[in-house]
Amino acid sequence: MGTLKILIVEDDPVTLSLLAKRLRKEGFEVETTHDGDDALRRIAGEPFDVVLTDLLMPGETDGMGVLENIKRLYPHTEVILLTGYISVESAVEAMKKGATDFLTKPINFDELIIRLNKIDDMRALIKAATDLRNAMEVTEKSAADTIQELEIMLSEFRSAFSEVRDALTEPHTHSQDRIDKALNILQPLVN
Amino acid sequence: MIKINPDEIKIISQYIYQITGIALDEKKAYLIETRLSGLIDEHGCKSYLELYHKAKQDAGRTLERKIINAMTTNETLFFRDHSPFELFRHKLLPELIDKRTSKSFPNSPITLRIWSSACSTGQEVYSLAIVLRELLPNQTKYNVKLLGTDISDKAIAQASYGQYNKFEIERGLDRDKLERYFHPNGSHWKIKDDIRAMALFKKLNLMEPFNSLGKFDIIFCRNVAIYFTLEDRKKLFNRIADVLEPDGYLVIGSTESLTGICPRFEPQRHLRSIFYQLK
Repeated sequence: MGTLKILIVEDDPVTLSLLAKRLRKEGFEVETTHDGDDALRRIAGEPFDVVLTDLLMPGETDGMGVLENIKRLYPHTEVILLTGYISVESAVEAMKKGATDFLTKPINFDELIIRLNKIDDMRALIKAATDLRNAMEVTEKSAADTIQELEIMLSEFRSAFSEVRDALTEPHTHSQDRIDKALNILQPLVN
Repeated sequence: MIKINPDEIKIISQYIYQITGIALDEKKAYLIETRLSGLIDEHGCKSYLELYHKAKQDAGRTLERKIINAMTTNETLFFRDHSPFELFRHKLLPELIDKRTSKSFPNSPITLRIWSSACSTGQEVYSLAIVLRELLPNQTKYNVKLLGTDISDKAIAQASYGQYNKFEIERGLDRDKLERYFHPNGSHWKIKDDIRAMALFKKLNLMEPFNSLGKFDIIFCRNVAIYFTLEDRKKLFNRIADVLEPDGYLVIGSTESLTGICPRFEPQRHLRSIFYQLK
């Protein structure tokens, strides 16, 4: 059962509707568009977990353009490229540019769903790690405040104690004066 | 995962202490298991004792290095905690420059020596470099030496390469800093050459002598001494005091304390941060 929000970018209407139908059946939230420029407009309006895009499309922005723009602007979004034929060079180029995966057409739906579920698992792990880190930061911050407060307080106490020692051992002074002076030093620390 | 037995825990933790200074007790058996099980598999060992013997027999010390890399924690992020970097930007650096300017000849560059003593994969060093770049636009007036050291050669190698994945980048860096100081390299981000050139990285075990590094104006020693015994912490901060300029500054981790550790240091408060100076 998928929880991912997916945008499919595909200029062939048959493939597009087939993909959308199948992924919706798996429980994914799916939106569709048939060109790269519209895909970029859509992504600017709302966040997607995954963008499944055809590599070759008419118009200004092809699949590689979609990939580049997404990785630049929305690094959290995973991109899977779909293509009729993929050469090793373009596959390497796509991975270099940050594509999560690429699949050749005709699409093997089982394979696609396994890969999407892997992305889902990975995102859940990332979320767990982020939550844990946030919890740790809160604890660390609170511990730091306490420790730093104590550190300063102890340092002030230490210097006051050495002043008290000096006051009490001051030569040629009446003992009552020495005690009064020592008490004066201690006064602000008592409150 | 192969279980570690009580006898092995003693031997392995003693060995880890020897090579890293990290103090582990019996309660940390799980830590040894999770950190070293990969090496057990990789080297086809049947027990932790076997791994230990292999490491001891390895004259090239490759396995020892791998164990160090596995046992050390590389938890770090850009501008971790924020406040030490605000302290650096608004208090330590301006105050230091002020002091050094009055001491130096007019028009001769002012030398500033800064040491990040457990720099892990470099985030602290580059965060400091970014602050330096922003605060001192005219770099020719200053001769900045920014040194990062770590016990893990793997961490130092990454720090030196200055490349980070999207998870590392996401932590602590805003969009503006990312675009200004890094350039995309495939799915990774690499620190720009001018920032990279400000830093020098070296492998160093803090348990070993470091006098030869010279003296520093500012030392960052954050979240590393927590892994050491009380005795080793005392020795470490005492040796740090030896390499700090008399009017220099020491910054430790936000949850660390030097009370009862090193009486040569005195805590100072600046806003919500603490730093230390020699008495």
